[in-house]
Amino acid sequence: MNTMPWTVGGCALQSRLLLGTARYPSLQVLSDAVAACGTQVLTVGLRRLQPELGGGNAFWQRVRALGCHVLPNTAGCHSVQEAVTLAEMAREIFGTPWIKLEVVGDDYTLQPDPFGTVEAAGLLVKSGFQVFAYTTDDLVVARRLQDAGVAAIMPWAAPIGTGRGPLNPYALETLRARLPDAVLVVDAGLGRPSHAAQVMEMGFDAVLLNTAVAEAGDPVRMARAFADATHAGRLAFEATPMTTRQTAQASTPTVGQPFWHNS
Amino acid sequence: MTRRMQVNGRVVDTEAVTLAELLQAQGYDLGAAMACAINSGFVPRTKWAGHELAEGDCIDVIVPVTGG
Repeated sequence: MNTMPWTVGGCALQSRLLLGTARYPSLQVLSDAVAACGTQVLTVGLRRLQPELGGGNAFWQRVRALGCHVLPNTAGCHSVQEAVTLAEMAREIFGTPWIKLEVVGDDYTLQPDPFGTVEAAGLLVKSGFQVFAYTTDDLVVARRLQDAGVAAIMPWAAPIGTGRGPLNPYALETLRARLPDAVLVVDAGLGRPSHAAQVMEMGFDAVLLNTAVAEAGDPVRMARAFADATHAGRLAFEATPMTTRQTAQASTPTVGQPFWHNS
Repeated sequence: MTRRMQVNGRVVDTEAVTLAELLQAQGYDLGAAMACAINSGFVPRTKWAGHELAEGDCIDVIVPVTGG
Protein backbone atom coordinates (compact mmCIF):
# COMPACT_ATOMS: atom_id res chain seq x y z
CA MET A 1 0.00 0.00 0.00
CA ASN A 2 1.43 3.35 -1.03
CA THR A 3 1.45 6.43 1.14
CA MET A 4 0.36 9.75 -0.29
CA PRO A 5 3.05 11.33 -2.48
CA TRP A 6 4.56 14.55 -1.22
CA THR A 7 6.08 17.58 -2.85
CA VAL A 8 9.23 19.41 -1.87
CA GLY A 9 11.23 22.00 -3.75
CA GLY A 10 8.95 21.71 -6.75
CA CYS A 11 9.28 17.91 -7.07
CA ALA A 12 6.66 15.29 -6.35
CA LEU A 13 8.22 12.32 -4.56
CA GLN A 14 6.96 8.93 -3.47
CA SER A 15 9.83 7.94 -1.18
CA ARG A 16 9.94 9.76 2.12
CA LEU A 17 13.47 8.75 2.95
CA LEU A 18 16.33 11.04 1.95
CA LEU A 19 19.75 9.44 2.13
CA GLY A 20 23.24 10.78 2.70
CA THR A 21 26.18 9.43 0.72
CA ALA A 22 28.98 9.56 3.29
CA ARG A 23 30.76 6.91 5.34
CA TYR A 24 29.78 3.84 3.32
CA PRO A 25 32.33 1.04 3.07
CA SER A 26 32.41 1.51 -0.71
CA LEU A 27 30.59 3.17 -3.58
CA GLN A 28 29.09 -0.20 -4.44
CA VAL A 29 27.57 -0.54 -0.99
CA LEU A 30 26.19 2.97 -1.33
CA SER A 31 24.62 2.05 -4.67
CA ASP A 32 23.13 -1.13 -3.24
CA ALA A 33 21.74 0.73 -0.24
CA VAL A 34 20.10 3.27 -2.53
CA ALA A 35 18.50 0.47 -4.52
CA ALA A 36 17.37 -1.33 -1.36
CA CYS A 37 15.58 1.65 0.15
CA GLY A 38 14.22 3.25 -3.00
CA THR A 39 15.23 6.75 -2.02
CA GLN A 40 14.77 9.45 -4.62
CA VAL A 41 16.99 12.08 -2.98
CA LEU A 42 20.71 11.85 -2.18
CA THR A 43 22.69 14.44 -0.28
CA VAL A 44 26.23 15.27 -1.36
CA GLY A 45 29.00 17.48 -0.10
CA LEU A 46 31.59 19.80 -1.66
CA ARG A 47 35.24 19.98 -0.77
CA ARG A 48 38.50 21.32 -2.10
CA LEU A 49 40.31 19.20 -4.64
CA GLN A 50 44.08 19.14 -5.11
CA PRO A 51 44.49 18.29 -8.80
CA GLU A 52 47.04 15.57 -8.24
CA LEU A 53 44.63 13.67 -6.01
CA GLY A 54 41.77 13.34 -8.48
CA GLY A 55 38.95 11.19 -7.17
CA GLY A 56 36.05 13.62 -7.09
CA ASN A 57 34.57 12.64 -10.37
CA ALA A 58 34.35 8.89 -9.69
CA PHE A 59 31.99 9.57 -6.82
CA TRP A 60 29.95 12.07 -8.79
CA GLN A 61 29.65 9.81 -11.81
CA ARG A 62 28.38 7.00 -9.59
CA VAL A 63 25.82 9.25 -7.93
CA ARG A 64 24.61 10.60 -11.26
CA ALA A 65 24.11 7.07 -12.51
CA LEU A 66 21.76 6.35 -9.61
CA GLY A 67 19.23 8.73 -11.11
CA CYS A 68 18.19 10.41 -7.86
CA HIS A 69 17.60 14.06 -7.16
CA VAL A 70 20.76 15.57 -5.71
CA LEU A 71 20.66 17.71 -2.61
CA PRO A 72 24.06 19.39 -2.10
CA ASN A 73 24.86 20.62 1.37
CA THR A 74 26.81 23.48 2.89
CA ALA A 75 28.23 21.30 5.65
CA GLY A 76 31.09 22.86 7.55
CA CYS A 77 30.19 26.45 6.79
CA HIS A 78 30.41 28.72 9.82
CA SER A 79 29.19 31.99 8.34
CA VAL A 80 26.44 33.30 6.14
CA GLN A 81 28.92 34.28 3.44
CA GLU A 82 30.53 30.86 3.36
CA ALA A 83 27.16 29.16 3.09
CA VAL A 84 25.87 31.46 0.36
CA THR A 85 29.06 31.17 -1.68
CA LEU A 86 29.11 27.38 -1.37
CA ALA A 87 25.45 27.24 -2.38
CA GLU A 88 26.21 29.25 -5.51
CA MET A 89 29.07 26.90 -6.34
CA ALA A 90 26.83 23.89 -5.77
CA ARG A 91 24.15 25.27 -8.05
CA GLU A 92 26.66 25.57 -10.85
CA ILE A 93 28.11 22.10 -10.40
CA PHE A 94 24.88 20.19 -9.94
CA GLY A 95 22.52 22.32 -11.97
CA THR A 96 19.92 22.31 -9.22
CA PRO A 97 18.40 25.09 -7.14
CA TRP A 98 18.19 22.70 -4.20
CA ILE A 99 20.53 23.35 -1.30
CA LYS A 100 20.69 21.78 2.13
CA LEU A 101 21.62 24.80 4.18
CA GLU A 102 23.86 24.13 7.14
CA VAL A 103 25.52 26.89 9.14
CA VAL A 104 27.44 25.44 12.05
CA GLY A 105 27.05 27.29 15.33
CA ASP A 106 29.02 25.01 17.62
CA ASP A 107 31.81 22.70 16.56
CA TYR A 108 31.40 20.24 19.41
CA THR A 109 27.69 19.53 19.03
CA LEU A 110 27.46 20.66 15.40
CA GLN A 111 24.40 22.57 16.50
CA PRO A 112 23.29 24.88 13.72
CA ASP A 113 23.56 28.62 14.15
CA PRO A 114 19.92 29.72 14.05
CA PHE A 115 20.68 33.36 13.35
CA GLY A 116 23.06 32.62 10.49
CA THR A 117 20.76 29.96 9.10
CA VAL A 118 17.77 32.31 8.97
CA GLU A 119 19.82 35.10 7.40
CA ALA A 120 21.40 32.81 4.81
CA ALA A 121 18.05 31.22 4.03
CA GLY A 122 16.56 34.61 3.24
CA LEU A 123 19.41 35.52 0.91
CA LEU A 124 19.33 32.18 -0.88
CA VAL A 125 15.57 32.17 -1.36
CA LYS A 126 15.82 35.63 -2.92
CA SER A 127 18.49 34.26 -5.26
CA GLY A 128 16.18 31.53 -6.49
CA PHE A 129 17.29 28.61 -4.35
CA GLN A 130 15.01 25.95 -2.95
CA VAL A 131 16.38 25.87 0.57
CA PHE A 132 16.26 22.79 2.78
CA ALA A 133 17.20 24.35 6.09
CA TYR A 134 18.88 22.22 8.74
CA THR A 135 17.92 23.56 12.15
CA THR A 136 17.21 22.63 15.73
CA ASP A 137 13.76 21.79 17.02
CA ASP A 138 13.17 25.42 18.08
CA LEU A 139 9.70 26.51 17.02
CA VAL A 140 10.43 30.19 16.64
CA VAL A 141 13.47 29.58 14.45
CA ALA A 142 11.40 27.23 12.33
CA ARG A 143 8.76 29.90 11.95
CA ARG A 144 11.38 32.41 10.82
CA LEU A 145 12.60 29.92 8.24
CA GLN A 146 9.05 29.39 7.03
CA ASP A 147 8.62 33.16 6.76
CA ALA A 148 11.83 33.30 4.72
CA GLY A 149 10.24 30.94 2.21
CA VAL A 150 12.35 27.82 2.57
CA ALA A 151 11.28 24.66 0.75
CA ALA A 152 11.72 22.46 3.80
CA ILE A 153 12.47 22.92 7.47
CA MET A 154 14.70 20.14 8.73
CA PRO A 155 14.95 19.93 12.52
CA TRP A 156 17.39 17.62 14.17
CA ALA A 157 16.21 14.74 16.31
CA ALA A 158 19.61 14.67 18.03
CA PRO A 159 23.08 15.93 17.11
CA ILE A 160 24.50 14.73 13.81
CA GLY A 161 25.92 11.26 13.87
CA THR A 162 24.84 10.40 17.41
CA GLY A 163 22.07 7.97 16.48
CA ARG A 164 20.29 8.73 19.72
CA GLY A 165 16.85 9.22 18.22
CA PRO A 166 14.39 12.00 19.13
CA LEU A 167 15.72 13.58 22.30
CA ASN A 168 12.76 15.94 22.59
CA PRO A 169 9.67 14.36 21.05
CA TYR A 170 7.51 17.08 22.56
CA ALA A 171 9.36 19.76 20.59
CA LEU A 172 9.05 17.80 17.37
CA GLU A 173 5.34 17.23 17.93
CA THR A 174 4.93 20.93 18.62
CA LEU A 175 6.66 21.84 15.36
CA ARG A 176 4.28 19.62 13.43
CA ALA A 177 1.24 20.96 15.25
CA ARG A 178 2.19 24.63 14.96
CA LEU A 179 3.44 24.53 11.37
CA PRO A 180 0.85 22.32 9.68
CA ASP A 181 1.54 23.66 6.19
CA ALA A 182 5.35 23.51 6.29
CA VAL A 183 7.34 20.69 4.76
CA LEU A 184 9.09 19.19 7.78
CA VAL A 185 11.89 16.67 7.43
CA VAL A 186 13.66 15.23 10.46
CA ASP A 187 17.36 15.45 9.71
CA ALA A 188 20.13 14.12 11.91
CA GLY A 189 20.30 12.01 15.01
CA LEU A 190 18.17 9.05 13.96
CA GLY A 191 19.90 5.78 14.73
CA ARG A 192 17.31 3.03 14.39
CA PRO A 193 14.33 2.37 12.17
CA SER A 194 12.01 2.74 15.16
CA HIS A 195 13.20 6.35 15.46
CA ALA A 196 12.14 6.99 11.89
CA ALA A 197 8.77 5.35 12.47
CA GLN A 198 8.29 7.46 15.60
CA VAL A 199 8.74 10.80 13.87
CA MET A 200 6.80 9.74 10.79
CA GLU A 201 3.87 8.80 13.04
CA MET A 202 3.99 12.39 14.31
CA GLY A 203 3.29 13.56 10.77
CA PHE A 204 6.70 14.61 9.57
CA ASP A 205 6.89 14.60 5.81
CA ALA A 206 10.13 12.67 5.55
CA VAL A 207 13.38 11.73 7.25
CA LEU A 208 16.98 12.28 6.18
CA LEU A 209 19.56 9.70 7.22
CA ASN A 210 23.18 8.93 6.66
CA THR A 211 25.28 7.47 9.46
CA ALA A 212 22.55 5.14 10.72
CA VAL A 213 22.63 3.34 7.39
CA ALA A 214 26.24 3.78 6.35
CA GLU A 215 27.70 2.58 9.65
CA ALA A 216 25.32 -0.31 10.18
CA GLY A 217 26.82 -3.79 10.11
CA ASP A 218 24.93 -4.38 6.89
CA PRO A 219 24.14 -0.99 5.34
CA VAL A 220 22.03 -2.46 2.56
CA ARG A 221 19.69 -4.32 4.89
CA MET A 222 19.54 -1.34 7.21
CA ALA A 223 18.61 0.94 4.31
CA ARG A 224 15.67 -1.33 3.57
CA ALA A 225 14.74 -1.46 7.26
CA PHE A 226 14.63 2.33 7.42
CA ALA A 227 12.58 2.50 4.24
CA ASP A 228 10.04 0.07 5.69
CA ALA A 229 9.92 1.92 9.02
CA THR A 230 9.51 5.28 7.32
CA HIS A 231 6.75 3.87 5.18
CA ALA A 232 5.05 2.23 8.18
CA GLY A 233 5.21 5.42 10.20
CA ARG A 234 3.70 7.44 7.42
CA LEU A 235 0.95 4.90 6.83
CA ALA A 236 0.15 5.03 10.54
CA PHE A 237 -0.04 8.82 10.47
CA GLU A 238 -2.35 8.77 7.48
CA ALA A 239 -4.49 6.10 9.20
CA THR A 240 -4.82 8.28 12.36
CA PRO A 241 -3.68 6.34 15.44
CA MET A 242 -6.19 5.68 18.22
CA THR A 243 -6.51 8.04 21.14
CA THR A 244 -4.68 6.91 24.27
CA ARG A 245 -6.66 6.34 27.48
CA GLN A 246 -5.83 6.46 31.16
CA THR A 247 -7.68 3.24 32.05
CA ALA A 248 -8.02 -0.26 30.68
CA GLN A 249 -10.84 -1.00 28.31
CA ALA A 250 -11.57 -4.57 27.25
CA SER A 251 -11.37 -5.12 23.53
CA THR A 252 -13.47 -8.31 23.64
CA PRO A 253 -17.21 -7.49 24.03
CA THR A 254 -18.49 -7.86 27.61
CA VAL A 255 -22.06 -8.63 26.53
CA GLY A 256 -22.64 -12.39 26.64
CA GLN A 257 -19.73 -13.02 28.94
CA PRO A 258 -20.03 -16.73 29.92
CA PHE A 259 -20.30 -17.77 33.59
CA TRP A 260 -21.38 -14.22 34.51
CA HIS A 261 -23.37 -14.29 37.78
CA ASN A 262 -23.20 -18.10 37.89
CA SER A 263 -22.06 -18.13 41.47
CA MET B 1 55.40 38.44 -14.14
CA THR B 2 55.25 35.94 -11.32
CA ARG B 3 52.68 36.52 -8.59
CA ARG B 4 52.04 34.70 -5.37
CA MET B 5 48.58 33.47 -4.46
CA GLN B 6 46.91 30.52 -2.79
CA VAL B 7 45.08 27.65 -4.42
CA ASN B 8 43.05 25.60 -1.96
CA GLY B 9 45.21 26.88 0.86
CA ARG B 10 48.50 26.07 -0.85
CA VAL B 11 50.91 28.85 -1.78
CA VAL B 12 51.48 29.05 -5.53
CA ASP B 13 53.80 31.26 -7.55
CA THR B 14 52.33 31.66 -10.99
CA GLU B 15 52.56 33.61 -14.22
CA ALA B 16 48.95 32.86 -15.05
CA VAL B 17 46.95 35.98 -15.84
CA THR B 18 43.42 34.59 -15.69
CA LEU B 19 41.68 32.05 -13.51
CA ALA B 20 41.37 29.63 -16.43
CA GLU B 21 45.11 29.83 -17.08
CA LEU B 22 45.86 29.20 -13.43
CA LEU B 23 43.59 26.18 -13.27
CA GLN B 24 45.19 24.68 -16.35
CA ALA B 25 48.68 25.39 -15.05
CA GLN B 26 47.79 23.64 -11.80
CA GLY B 27 46.62 20.56 -13.65
CA TYR B 28 42.89 20.87 -13.30
CA ASP B 29 40.61 19.42 -15.96
CA LEU B 30 38.48 22.42 -16.89
CA GLY B 31 35.73 20.15 -18.14
CA ALA B 32 35.32 18.40 -14.81
CA ALA B 33 32.47 18.96 -12.37
CA MET B 34 33.99 21.68 -10.23
CA ALA B 35 33.39 25.26 -9.18
CA CYS B 36 35.62 28.14 -8.16
CA ALA B 37 35.65 30.99 -5.72
CA ILE B 38 38.19 33.78 -5.32
CA ASN B 39 38.57 35.44 -1.95
CA SER B 40 35.39 33.68 -0.81
CA GLY B 41 33.33 35.03 -3.73
CA PHE B 42 31.84 32.72 -6.34
CA VAL B 43 33.26 33.03 -9.85
CA PRO B 44 30.96 31.41 -12.44
CA ARG B 45 32.51 29.09 -14.97
CA THR B 46 31.59 31.48 -17.76
CA LYS B 47 33.98 34.04 -16.28
CA TRP B 48 37.01 31.84 -15.69
CA ALA B 49 38.65 32.80 -18.97
CA GLY B 50 38.17 36.51 -18.45
CA HIS B 51 38.73 36.83 -14.72
CA GLU B 52 42.14 38.40 -14.11
CA LEU B 53 43.96 37.35 -10.96
CA ALA B 54 45.65 39.63 -8.46
CA GLU B 55 48.60 39.23 -6.12
CA GLY B 56 47.48 37.49 -2.94
CA ASP B 57 44.25 36.05 -4.32
CA CYS B 58 42.91 33.00 -2.50
CA ILE B 59 41.34 30.55 -4.94
CA ASP B 60 39.09 27.70 -3.89
CA VAL B 61 38.41 24.85 -6.31
CA ILE B 62 35.77 22.41 -5.13
CA VAL B 63 34.30 19.18 -6.39
CA PRO B 64 31.48 16.83 -5.32
CA VAL B 65 32.27 14.53 -2.42
CA THR B 66 30.24 12.27 -0.21
CA GLY B 67 28.05 14.11 2.24
CA GLY B 68 25.17 13.81 4.61
